[in-house]
Amino acid sequence: MTLGAGRVLLLLGLLLAPPAATAGGMACDAPPELLAANAALPATARAASTGSLRILIVGSASVLGPGTSGPSAAWPVRLEALIRARAPHLKLDMVTRGARGLTTAETGAIIAAELARSPFNLVLWQAGTAEAVRGLDLDEMVEELHAGLAKVVAAGADAVLMDHQFSRFIRANANVDAYRDALRLTAAAHGVPVLRRWDLMQAWAEDDIVDVERASRQERVAATDKLNDCLAQAMQALIRDGVAEARGRPGQR
Amino acid sequence: MRQLIRGMQPGAGKMARDLRADAFRGIALWFILIDHIPGNRLGGLTLRNVALSDATEAFVLLAGYAAGLAYGATLDRHGWAFAAAALLRRLGTLYVAHIFLFVVFTAQVGYSAAALESSAYLDEMHLDVFGEQPYLALLQALLLRFQPAFLDILPLYIVLMLMLVPALPLLRWPWLLMGLSVAGYVVVRLFGLNLPNWVDGGWFFNPLAWQVLFFTGCLLGYTPWREGRRGPAPAVPFHPALIGAAILALLLGLVIVLIGDYGEQWLAELPQPLAELLTTIDKTGLHPFRLISVLALAYLVGHAVPRDANWLRSRLAAPFVLMGQHGLPVFCVGIFLAFLGRLALEMDDRWPMQVAVNLAGLAALISIGIIGAWYRLRERGESAHSATNPAAVGLRAPAASSTTAR
Repeated sequence: MTLGAGRVLLLLGLLLAPPAATAGGMACDAPPELLAANAALPATARAASTGSLRILIVGSASVLGPGTSGPSAAWPVRLEALIRARAPHLKLDMVTRGARGLTTAETGAIIAAELARSPFNLVLWQAGTAEAVRGLDLDEMVEELHAGLAKVVAAGADAVLMDHQFSRFIRANANVDAYRDALRLTAAAHGVPVLRRWDLMQAWAEDDIVDVERASRQERVAATDKLNDCLAQAMQALIRDGVAEARGRPGQR
Repeated sequence: MRQLIRGMQPGAGKMARDLRADAFRGIALWFILIDHIPGNRLGGLTLRNVALSDATEAFVLLAGYAAGLAYGATLDRHGWAFAAAALLRRLGTLYVAHIFLFVVFTAQVGYSAAALESSAYLDEMHLDVFGEQPYLALLQALLLRFQPAFLDILPLYIVLMLMLVPALPLLRWPWLLMGLSVAGYVVVRLFGLNLPNWVDGGWFFNPLAWQVLFFTGCLLGYTPWREGRRGPAPAVPFHPALIGAAILALLLGLVIVLIGDYGEQWLAELPQPLAELLTTIDKTGLHPFRLISVLALAYLVGHAVPRDANWLRSRLAAPFVLMGQHGLPVFCVGIFLAFLGRLALEMDDRWPMQVAVNLAGLAALISIGIIGAWYRLRERGESAHSATNPAAVGLRAPAASSTTAR
């Protein structure tokens, strides 16, 4: 009898515990709702089942990990390491393209060129930063996103967008909210997940987990490394959630 | 505070000042200040959270209303040349105010970049165009082709006022003016025309499109002289079908806003063209949905709030009425305060600072309204009492708002 009650309690505990809690602070204790894909990644799920996954990462400077201790600390490289550690038998192929100050039109052109060269299963597209900080046309960014996402889907791949970095400086000096909202809505119109980097970084800053802007000069490189690692973990969690969604969600996050 | 308000006592039988326009302009000015401080928690409570239009639309419509009222009266009393000169004088003030605010912005970017010591982290940011090409940046700012973030409403206002100079005589032919204005709006939207920006692209607020809202306001504000006195202000008459349509439009707008804010995953369930339409409701070219939203709102408010509503003369409404009556200085100070607010929240955005920024901001705006009203009374050598005396009102030029005249 007591044994039965204990089992019931254990089962209840398992059912009630939020996924993030069971993982013991997933993705640097990010709020779980920011790690939810809210959309399926079917092409990624299929590729992972066949044991071979090709990911294309395109963006502006931040995909290259500026301010980190070295190229190996950039979030795309960290993401690759995390996936390899989790799925050692997966044949993983990752290509990263980016440069300082690229606009959405320019990164969109890179994606089109790379997709024409070789097939990918998943495209991680970091966009919108150049537009927001330079005050470029919002409508043009939205059009480029619509066109780019349509191309990715036509090529049979999944897409995940990544929005702006949280920065009090940018918030005070650029109209970044308008660009963030437009990016989020455009992704939603295509059923594409967004890694909400702004909200994630703001949450990490508020919880004193990592705050590059407030880090002292000596701590800044370490903080930037940690930020890139946290971002990689968050991206991994989001991709796993999208894959689970594609598989009908019996899988874990 | 209330004795400083112009048109406080409705004049017997005469057309008294419409305090509704003042009160709502005051509220719009307050919302503009709030919305110009990103990270401000109060920003979740302004008009943009429940309607497709926001304080910018309200401000432009009411600016048009005030311009039509004041310069239309000047036109009727002194002729076009005098009215045009008065408009140009006001334009000069607006232009200088804009350039002043631009200098403040430049100083702020420099200051906060230094304060955050974030040169490495901000390496990819091209915010500091002024540091890179100071002479060119200055020239482009003077040409209104370089508009930093949050400094885009005044250039819009300047161009709208400039457009009013040749359009003034057309106030007497409202259907002609409205026809030209709407035709211009349609052409601009169809062909994607805009004034050029320094960085490739157009103005954040496209004056060629926004003029339709401004001229609508002008026509609502213009009251032609008839037999030596002003006639009744034109208004769109009450009609149940129109009321129903306006309510429907606002409800649909509310649904679209709520989907955008809280239910974006539903967008994927919609047919692709509809989903794309909902993500392309642009503010730059005053998307028709936004235009409909602000006009529906104005129509409903215009009929829901009578001219002589008691609350307009209440203690609570007085600060906003005063702010609205001194719109230009309040607006400029608001943009300036937004800089300070952004700097403050950049340093600390927890709730004590949030409360301090919002209280100080509102208090400063109200003070500007009070000082403006007090100064105006002293300058005219009038007591507050005689200013509300119907006879005195009849002798003076029609009560003009400081947003537009003088």
